Amino acid sequence: MNKKNKKTIGKVLFWILVIYLFFFLVFPFYWTINTSLKTENQLLMTPATFVPVDNITDQVSISINNYKAVFLNNTFVNGLKNSLIVAGSVTILCLVIGSFAAFALGKLNFKGKTFSLYLILSMTMFPQISVLTGLYAVINKLHISATPAMIFSYFLFTLPFTIWVMTSFFKGLPKSLMQAANVDGATPLQSFYLILLPLTVPALVTTGLLSFIAAWNEYLFALTFTSIESQARTVPVAMALFTGSIAKQEPFGEIMAAAVVVTIPLLILVYVFQRRLIEGLTAGAVKG
Amino acid sequence: MKNTHHALKKSEQKLAFLLLLPSFIVLFTIAFYPLGSVFTKSFTNERFASSKKTEFVGLENYQKLLSLKIMELDPIGMDEQGSIIYEDPIDILPRKPNRYKEVSQFSIFNKHFVFSATDPDFIQSIGDTLLFTILSVSLETIFGMIIALIMVKNFPGRGGMRVAMLVPWAIPTAVSSKMWEWMFSSTRVGVVNVVSQWFGITNGQFPWLTNADTQIWAMIAIDVWKTTPFMALLIMAGLQTIPKGIYEAAKIDGCNGWQNFWKMTLPMVKDTITVALVFRTLDALRVFDLFQIVFAQKRYSMASYSYYQLIDNKLMGYSSATSVIIFFIILLFIIIYTKMSGGVNNE
Amino acid sequence: MLNIKKLTICLVIMLSFITTNVFASGQEEATMMEEDSKTITVAAGAVGTEFELAQDAAAAYMEMHPDVTVEILQTPDLTTDRLGLYLQFFESQSSEVDLYQIDVIWPGDIAEHLIDLNEYGAKEYTDAHFPSIIQNNTVDNRFVAMPWFTDAGLLYYRTDLLEKYGYNEPPTTWDELEMMAEKVMQGERAAGNQDFWGFVFQGNSYEGLTCDALEWVYSYDGGSIVEPDGTISINNPNAIEALEKAAGWVGTIAPDGVTGFAEEDARNMFQAGNALFMRNWPYAYSLGNSEGSAVKDKFGVSPLPSGKNNIRAASLGGWQLACSKYSKNPELAADVLFFFTSYEQQKKRAIEASYNPTIIDLYEDSEVLEATPFFGTLKDVFTSSVARPSTVTAPQYAQVSKVFYENVHDVLTNESTAERAVKNIELDISDIIE
Repeated sequence: MNKKNKKTIGKVLFWILVIYLFFFLVFPFYWTINTSLKTENQLLMTPATFVPVDNITDQVSISINNYKAVFLNNTFVNGLKNSLIVAGSVTILCLVIGSFAAFALGKLNFKGKTFSLYLILSMTMFPQISVLTGLYAVINKLHISATPAMIFSYFLFTLPFTIWVMTSFFKGLPKSLMQAANVDGATPLQSFYLILLPLTVPALVTTGLLSFIAAWNEYLFALTFTSIESQARTVPVAMALFTGSIAKQEPFGEIMAAAVVVTIPLLILVYVFQRRLIEGLTAGAVKG
Repeated sequence: MKNTHHALKKSEQKLAFLLLLPSFIVLFTIAFYPLGSVFTKSFTNERFASSKKTEFVGLENYQKLLSLKIMELDPIGMDEQGSIIYEDPIDILPRKPNRYKEVSQFSIFNKHFVFSATDPDFIQSIGDTLLFTILSVSLETIFGMIIALIMVKNFPGRGGMRVAMLVPWAIPTAVSSKMWEWMFSSTRVGVVNVVSQWFGITNGQFPWLTNADTQIWAMIAIDVWKTTPFMALLIMAGLQTIPKGIYEAAKIDGCNGWQNFWKMTLPMVKDTITVALVFRTLDALRVFDLFQIVFAQKRYSMASYSYYQLIDNKLMGYSSATSVIIFFIILLFIIIYTKMSGGVNNE
Repeated sequence: MLNIKKLTICLVIMLSFITTNVFASGQEEATMMEEDSKTITVAAGAVGTEFELAQDAAAAYMEMHPDVTVEILQTPDLTTDRLGLYLQFFESQSSEVDLYQIDVIWPGDIAEHLIDLNEYGAKEYTDAHFPSIIQNNTVDNRFVAMPWFTDAGLLYYRTDLLEKYGYNEPPTTWDELEMMAEKVMQGERAAGNQDFWGFVFQGNSYEGLTCDALEWVYSYDGGSIVEPDGTISINNPNAIEALEKAAGWVGTIAPDGVTGFAEEDARNMFQAGNALFMRNWPYAYSLGNSEGSAVKDKFGVSPLPSGKNNIRAASLGGWQLACSKYSKNPELAADVLFFFTSYEQQKKRAIEASYNPTIIDLYEDSEVLEATPFFGTLKDVFTSSVARPSTVTAPQYAQVSKVFYENVHDVLTNESTAERAVKNIELDISDIIE
């Protein structure tokens, strides 16, 4: 009887924890959606309401004006396309280049491993702003247009991260795998591509998702590089240019609507890939 | 046999070189000039967007940034309530060649001291950033671990939970900062005040973001909310590589959940956690967006201070010096981490 | 084996695609620049109507000069971001942008990158504008920016509430304001509105506080921090009195959170009906009268109260138009500049979007007054406005302002006494501009 009770209590606690976490993670997003459906005057109401309520009639009143404004905003819609191109390219290239490097660092024997790892890491040890000015000067001198400029500069923070995470994954794969493949006559590259890489899919998906989102949300570099090329502007820059009808007015509702519009595709992306996040090693691959 | 062994090693070396080459090419082309110029500029008094001649000033920038002084404050009398009044630091702190300004006051053994610096904002920003980093990263790791452990169990609605998990990370920082700023509003327009009034904690008019005590905690709350998914995701990926067989074996041996966690799970994800910690700490030490949007000039992080010096004051040389100092502080953390996790290259 | 080959080929293709894109667009830009030698680019605001108006002005100019193209470049509304962007352009001596819309506190900082408009015939136009702005835009005897539209601090007050509690006129001194605020606040709170406060303003530690605090200090005859001749005047008993007065408002007639308020926070409270008085810029006027506003048609504006000697101060804001030294066509650009800031254009902006003109006569133009009657109050306010010491302390105004607002903020949050604060300010500023 005791054990059963313990189990039930355990289960109940577990579910309380899950629900609390869900609430904690999602509530601000719910609040964002709530805010995006309010007109400005509804936003100013005290106390703040959990559902959009008309400030004069006190009845539930949802306004989609903010969303209309967002979709009519060409810069924003264009920005979605640009962000997709930039973030997508960075992620794919980064995963390719990074996994090659990580394989070398994780599985091959050579001199200078630690040095290489730290050299790669040192690139991310500077605050963004210090790199920005120098980078902008280089880009101007070489007349590089905005989109490639953004793609290349985002490597600065996604590549070291990808390499480090993938390296630790490759290291974690048992030596026996490569040795077995070697015996079967495979070159290191072949065992990399055919055997080891597929086993690191959870890591690939994880770093891919995180890199994609980081590149998608980057603001400072995008703002500077697209300053003259308005058609290359990405979403965060488009959102910074969001203004109300009068200077100094901050159209909070519209910004929140834009945030919702921007986040939903990312969440869909996550949903599509989330199964692959949880892919364990089948017992066979390890033991065999 | 020896020959083939040598040959194998050489070809491995060559292959490794080829595999690493693209990464190095990319990183060097982007980073070499900008980062190199940061170092060289820190020894000058260069101004941003200015035709004023740039001169080499040696370590002057660093001196201005890092000069500290502690002086004792003598008592000069008593006030009405009988507590001692001390000298005003502004009267005794040295002024030439650079003025020392108060950072904080403290007392040890009945003696009263003032801690001063020639650039109190920078020193304060270092303190704030370190506090922010240590607290955020610790909380994020703990919460991240909890979430990761939950997420690897099979329960209904797991898919939805995984999507929910990434919500905070997916929202652009600029937006979530603004959103939280709004929620922390000092009147009842902000939901935090509304809720805290329900629970009787405040009267609904509490200025969360201007009160010096609650400020940093508000920032930490925002960052923890935003970045816990990052940690959780990485730890989750690490947990996936643990072969399920060992848990079954442990069950047979009679181990319970807690022992499982400490003796088996934790050591096996040590590598992943270390990587996650390194990058999370790196990011936290370089925090910029959050402080810039919520606090602007009120309270600086090291990176937003650097930005302020560059853009508002146009002091490029000075700002570069701050970047170099930030680099070394981060380097210090990396060294500590490596020592603690026993090296990166253990097999 | 096949797979590795495929992968490498893919990678090579992708990389070559990107590199050719890089060089191709470089080429494109070069040819474009040769053809469009008669394009003037204006970096202006991105704000809704502001942008439309700028485009209208550009279209009007292009109609009159068919061989010229005028393009409007949108820049972020966030002032620091905009300045950062401009500085990047100047640092790289870019000729991409010819005309820049600059804040009233920037001429001193960036004067070296701008042409002297007097060399291009500005004297013809300058007399029509408010002299304080012209003086503000003259750095080292070079006139570097033409005033475009202006702004000044105003007192907003609830007409319905003043009436309800028996007051006929808005307050003319800060003491009066305090008294009225206390009485009304007590009454409204007793009637059940627990979110009601007497006075809201910009108390956050940022440039906006410099504007508000300058008004307090100046209205108490405490000077303008640094006088136009360069003397640091802030350390005087009147300034101390002004700051102590303001600190007394926090938590009594102004909410504790006012030390974190910027313009929008104050406007939000006032517009929701939760404040009796507000200090803000003119932009809040039309927003307050928008559909759904809780204070629609229930408020008015007046100059800010005085402290001593009937001095009523208003900090000068607003934007100017300047021409870059690196422009390829300075003469043409200057012509566009004069067109954009002309009487007709400013009148159009005033009528269509309530932008405050900088040309004095427009405040008595009947059509303008018909569209925006409250402009009548504003003329005096603008004529007697006080400029922040940005030009005299250039190029270190940002540091000077920071010293000022940080110390004032400390006084407001009770972390320092007013006496200590002004002493600090004096010492720090003299270090900066030595």
